[in-house]
Amino acid sequence: MEILTASAGSYPRIGSRPEQQRHRQAYAQWERGEISSEEFERVQDEVTREVIEEQVRAGLDVVTDGQVRWYDLISHFTRKLEGCKIDGLLRFFDTNSYFRQPVVVGEVRWLEPVIKREFLFAKKISSAPVKPVMIGPYTLAKLSINRRGVGLAELAHEFAGAISLEVSELANAGAKLIQIDEPAILKNPNDFQTFEHAIEKIVAEKNGTMLLIHTYFGDAAPLYKKLVKLPVEALGFDFTYSPRLPEVIARLGCEKELGLGLIDGRNTRLESEREVLDVLKKILPNVGSKRVYLSPSCGLGEYLPREIAFKKLQNMIAIAEKAGELI
Amino acid sequence: MREKLKKFGLELPLLPTTSVGSYPKPPHLLEARLKFVAGKLDAEELHRLEEQTTREWVALQEEVGLDVFVDGEMYRGDMTTYFARNLEGFKISGLVRSYGNRYYRKPIIVGEVRWRGPITVEWWKFTQGLTRKPVKGVVTGPYTMMDWSFNEYYPTRRDACLALAKALHEEVKALAKAGAKIIQVDEPAISARPEELPEFAIKAMQMVTRGVDAYFISHICYGAFEFIYPGMLELPVDNFDLEMSNSELDLIELFREHPFSKDLSFGVVDVHSHVVEDTTTVEQRIRRALEVLRPEQLWIDPDCGLKTRTRDETVSKLRAIVSATKKVRKSLKVP
Ligand SMILES: [Zn+2]
Repeated sequence: MEILTASAGSYPRIGSRPEQQRHRQAYAQWERGEISSEEFERVQDEVTREVIEEQVRAGLDVVTDGQVRWYDLISHFTRKLEGCKIDGLLRFFDTNSYFRQPVVVGEVRWLEPVIKREFLFAKKISSAPVKPVMIGPYTLAKLSINRRGVGLAELAHEFAGAISLEVSELANAGAKLIQIDEPAILKNPNDFQTFEHAIEKIVAEKNGTMLLIHTYFGDAAPLYKKLVKLPVEALGFDFTYSPRLPEVIARLGCEKELGLGLIDGRNTRLESEREVLDVLKKILPNVGSKRVYLSPSCGLGEYLPREIAFKKLQNMIAIAEKAGELI
Repeated sequence: MREKLKKFGLELPLLPTTSVGSYPKPPHLLEARLKFVAGKLDAEELHRLEEQTTREWVALQEEVGLDVFVDGEMYRGDMTTYFARNLEGFKISGLVRSYGNRYYRKPIIVGEVRWRGPITVEWWKFTQGLTRKPVKGVVTGPYTMMDWSFNEYYPTRRDACLALAKALHEEVKALAKAGAKIIQVDEPAISARPEELPEFAIKAMQMVTRGVDAYFISHICYGAFEFIYPGMLELPVDNFDLEMSNSELDLIELFREHPFSKDLSFGVVDVHSHVVEDTTTVEQRIRRALEVLRPEQLWIDPDCGLKTRTRDETVSKLRAIVSATKKVRKSLKVP
């Protein structure tokens, strides 16, 4: 088995050093109409390059483009879909970050690739494999204002249709592993069937790529038994909400690749080697797949200052090396 | 709970009007704060400007005719970092993204949290010295301080929260000792993880308020009340200050199912909108509240702090509250 280290999503776009203010300054200038969209785009390209380099420098095996261009995880994708309008700000789960809420007013239809260009750009400049990260159909349906008069299941199904087309484009563009975030399912276990059907729809058209379903901001232990039966190659977990999860995985085992979110993506404290290795010792003997990813519990872009995010990754990679000696 | 207020010598009219805590800082004060951070203005001069603006807000509250005053928080940046900077055990982080192009600094608990000495007491005394109306003491609650800080020191969220409760208890005691009869503990984050309410959030509030002789209010906003109601009634306070107009008043329905057993400060104007509600709208909101609450239970105020509105919007919204409340009082046949 190999232990790889992976990003779980976004990365902070600004830091505390003066030269790391560029994105924030350009954003403000663009909002005031002082620079063109093309110029702002160019700054976003540069910052994307910077955050990819930073992840590689920390030593990550799998990086993301940092989602530097995204307003938030929800509206970045939905604003390009037919049938969706974008509404006001809403708190993203129990965090202090906000997203713009989609309003579904018509049938949801995918019109053109949304993040393919971003992926191609990142892939071209990155020396490490790039993993696209998107929000999943169930969570999208759950967080949207539904003006359609159709049920949640149907809405999730439509979002799944849109996401599957994007996934298939990303697969064609060379994405080997795509992460789909589904945090909302953890607090709504009764919707599991709806969630499962939506994921199955994406799987049916995934075009040879590997899918990783990632959940966070809730306890995944009660749903673990059902999640391992999903027809995807990999599952990612946030262990910070889930003291029982290592034990549940040890007991029930896992034949899929696992994203082990043992690094708290929402706290500045650096994990000790010991606490992470103890959990790995418990879990790894019961994992049947040939690969696991040690990762933060969630994207870091909205939750940590840039310098801490970098330290967290460095620390995680040092721990992963120690873990490699274990096996 | 009007008996409790009476016991403190507070003869408030029916449907007392108040505000939540913060008022907007005038441009010259915002500028002065920036200069102070850049080292181009000394602390004394900044303090003098803060006092001057506080005086102006007291005069405005007097003129508008509110019944219970606040100091307006001219001296605070934000509600968590302000207390974090004044308690032992905290550092302040680098920039964290909130949304769009907005960033903020977040407190980090790096050591044992301890109360060093009075934080808000001098401001309370200063403000109370300017008016005969009662002034609320306002502190940020332990659960919110914990949830909105990084924690590098305590093993669990519970440990961090209870340590904060112990420290804030000292602040609340000091406010009461200075003469504050009405003390508000802000807990906007209380519904962040509903399972933690019975686990330790209620206990933390008990630690803050225990043995302190005051009328306690807890301000809660941006909440998913449906997940913590009626459990939140266990919080040992006399009055809940809730955001109602922004949630389209659907709390009324919750209260129909399970009656609200405490006093309620009912938020009747939206603090996120530039639009000033007219008296009729506010009056209708108050009347809706009276469908599920007795007049003796009800206080009237805005949804939340008004610091993001302009001065004029703030004053107009407060005027709408006062004139609508007077109309309702009249129809209830009380002065
Ligand atoms: Zn509030």
